[in-house]
Amino acid sequence: MPEKLDVDLEKLMAGIDGMAGLARGMLIDSVRALREQDIELANDVMSRKKTLYDYDDDIEDLALKMLTLYSPMASDLRKIATIFKIITYLNRIGRYGYDIAKITTHLAGEPHVKKLVHIPLMAEKVACMIEDVLNAFKTRDLSKIKDLAERDNDVDQMRYAIFRECLTYMMEDPKTITRCTDYIMVARYLERCGDHACKIGEKVHYMVTGERIELN
Amino acid sequence: MFGMVKRPEVSDRGRNGTSDGPASIEMIMLRNVNIHYGSNHAVKGVSMDIKTRKVTAFIGPSGCGKSTLLRAMNRMNDEIDGCKTEGEIVLKGTNVLGKKVDPVALRTKVGMVFQKPNPFPKSIYDNVAYGPKIHGMRKKRSLDERVELSLKRAALWDEVKDRLHESAMGLSGGQQQRLCIARALAVEPDVILMDEPCSALDPIATSKIEDLIFELKKNYTVIIVTHNMQQAARVSDETGFMYLGELIEFGPTKQIFENPKNKLTENYITGRFG
Repeated sequence: MPEKLDVDLEKLMAGIDGMAGLARGMLIDSVRALREQDIELANDVMSRKKTLYDYDDDIEDLALKMLTLYSPMASDLRKIATIFKIITYLNRIGRYGYDIAKITTHLAGEPHVKKLVHIPLMAEKVACMIEDVLNAFKTRDLSKIKDLAERDNDVDQMRYAIFRECLTYMMEDPKTITRCTDYIMVARYLERCGDHACKIGEKVHYMVTGERIELN
Repeated sequence: MFGMVKRPEVSDRGRNGTSDGPASIEMIMLRNVNIHYGSNHAVKGVSMDIKTRKVTAFIGPSGCGKSTLLRAMNRMNDEIDGCKTEGEIVLKGTNVLGKKVDPVALRTKVGMVFQKPNPFPKSIYDNVAYGPKIHGMRKKRSLDERVELSLKRAALWDEVKDRLHESAMGLSGGQQQRLCIARALAVEPDVILMDEPCSALDPIATSKIEDLIFELKKNYTVIIVTHNMQQAARVSDETGFMYLGELIEFGPTKQIFENPKNKLTENYITGRFG
């Protein structure tokens, strides 16, 4: 039985790997599409949504099947419970990528208010957090996520800075209001993705140690 | 996981509706218990406290000593030639291993239910009334009341109340096992020992016994040996894992099954043993 369980756990891990790559890719590409106003790329990101949902369903089905077949305990149970949560967070992250791509299509034809610098920087930081929590999940090495709360604070501050910057543009020129509102939304989505990375970090910590912590 | 279905809080009230003290005090204290079968050292230096009106489960691979330890608590091992028990098993302040303790009297306080249902080849009524009768209860009315109460506590009354004088051997396996529990309850024990009580039963009968165990702990201290880890996780408050005669880990069931501290426990309950 444990051999079969291990085989299925490997399948789950591979599924998470694929879903994580997809969700993170959607986020990164959507911000690149926004920065470069690349509508083709934005549409491509939006087309990946179905695959993201398929990953979610397939992983959930397999995890449920494993609960039924193997009645897992201890570390196996914690791993499967963590996977149930991670797929929801990854789904949300990918979905925010979709939303940013959609905003990009709305902004088509309108030049940026200024060259986008802070949003891509923020996205890079968030993508790095996501990568690190997923590495911690794969390797069970918690050292990769010990400063996660601090990095999330930085992300929150970046969002606030973007908000303030947008406010000044909107006050100076009301014609920028639509675009700036979209930038504020994008910053908000990225900040939420940072929160989801923290939630994944909390679950990974639980999976490895059996103890619950709060990161944000 | 184990708190998924929140059960109602267990009442602290005693059998007669009066408080019998807080439910968390120790009913049985084991101190350095060693049991030998001839040269085989079956239980090695086990010390633990079993709490009043809680369900305590013992898990572990075959031959790890869990049934032996269970049987020591009501001196069932006395019947086995060459079996020697050392240490202390203290029930309500008395060391049950003491020479002055009468094993027969002890077994009225510490009842036992076995793997296979073993009703007497008598009527349902006589099975339950047997214990009270041999302990001197003679009045029919008292016996009737005791039989009814015991069968109700064993969740069997509704199924057998109209055929109390039919043979117990005509009951199903699950009903026979609940009859054995009623028979143990009839002598008003403090502790009920269960040695794999569901291993010979189908899932529905098993479910009924598990529900019954949950009800029983309102009034009794229950100690169960089981090979079924899901069952231990479902019914018990505390779990002890035994291996090669030693108590490797003992603690709240949630902790044992979700986050065991000992690698051996982890390996056993995840099926990666050996």
